[in-house]
Amino acid sequence: MKLNLVGLLFGALFGGLLAGAQLHEYDTIHAMLRLDEPDVFLIMASAIGVSAPLLYVLERRRARSVFGGDVRLSRSRPERHHWQGGALFGLGWAIAGTCPAPALVMVSSGAMLGLVAIPGIFLGLYLNERSAGTADHVGDGEHRELEPA
Amino acid sequence: MFDVLPDRVPWYVVGPGLGLLIVGLFFVANQPLGASGAYVQTSGLLRRRTDIAVWRVWYFVGMFAGGLVVTQVLREGSEVRSGYDAMRGVWPLWVVLPLIFGGATMLGFGAGRAGGCTSGHGLCGTAQRSPASVAVTATFMAVAIATTFVLRIATGGDL
Repeated sequence: MKLNLVGLLFGALFGGLLAGAQLHEYDTIHAMLRLDEPDVFLIMASAIGVSAPLLYVLERRRARSVFGGDVRLSRSRPERHHWQGGALFGLGWAIAGTCPAPALVMVSSGAMLGLVAIPGIFLGLYLNERSAGTADHVGDGEHRELEPA
Repeated sequence: MFDVLPDRVPWYVVGPGLGLLIVGLFFVANQPLGASGAYVQTSGLLRRRTDIAVWRVWYFVGMFAGGLVVTQVLREGSEVRSGYDAMRGVWPLWVVLPLIFGGATMLGFGAGRAGGCTSGHGLCGTAQRSPASVAVTATFMAVAIATTFVLRIATGGDL
């Protein structure tokens, strides 16, 4: 219950920030990938620049999270499926000009072409699940585990 | 209602804000942040699987709702852009629609195979110093930039 509320709140803040920076607009992503505007690169770099040192401190101090137990970061070694998945993701990202979170914000902004992108993302994830025999490659990124202990 | 936000909030506000969200989610719930995981769990819910992380479905709902608040309330009066203006200037709609759908399917498949997307690997995994996330991020950035340039050349510089 508490976790659901956290999910809603963090999701809303995340979607709100993306909308604030116009990251749901094809033009913004396209201008970055054409190397015309540095903004999106600066957003990603400063997000990592702020979070990486703070996560390092949380991990070093063996901090306890509010209700998820000890803070535990996950690291894994690159495997074949990472390179393949990354390459395919990059190809689709450049063509569609959006990715999972911005596609949702695109629809909330009133841009209805997002309704074409979202089912496509669901279909792609489903096809991967079918071909890999699993929903997730557990151990990577946010697909680490289901509920916390 | 309250038209308080500029057309584009500057990167030095949004970037550190996203960084604090990543840290905050670990600090509150010891969970990594990411968008494609929310799709995976929402997809599981729609298919009535029972082993899903429900809070990530709420995260999915939240992303939509947060976008709604910013674009419809805090930035009221800004024009609704159709998106894809540049693309629609090059191709007719019957070409653009399958391109968006096909591209989205590819990136969905890739995000599933890689175990994360721009947020899960690009931001959260990289911030955890995961070598796999750095590899995924470098790969999708390089391929996306290369693809964009190929499209640009193929359309005679129009895209």
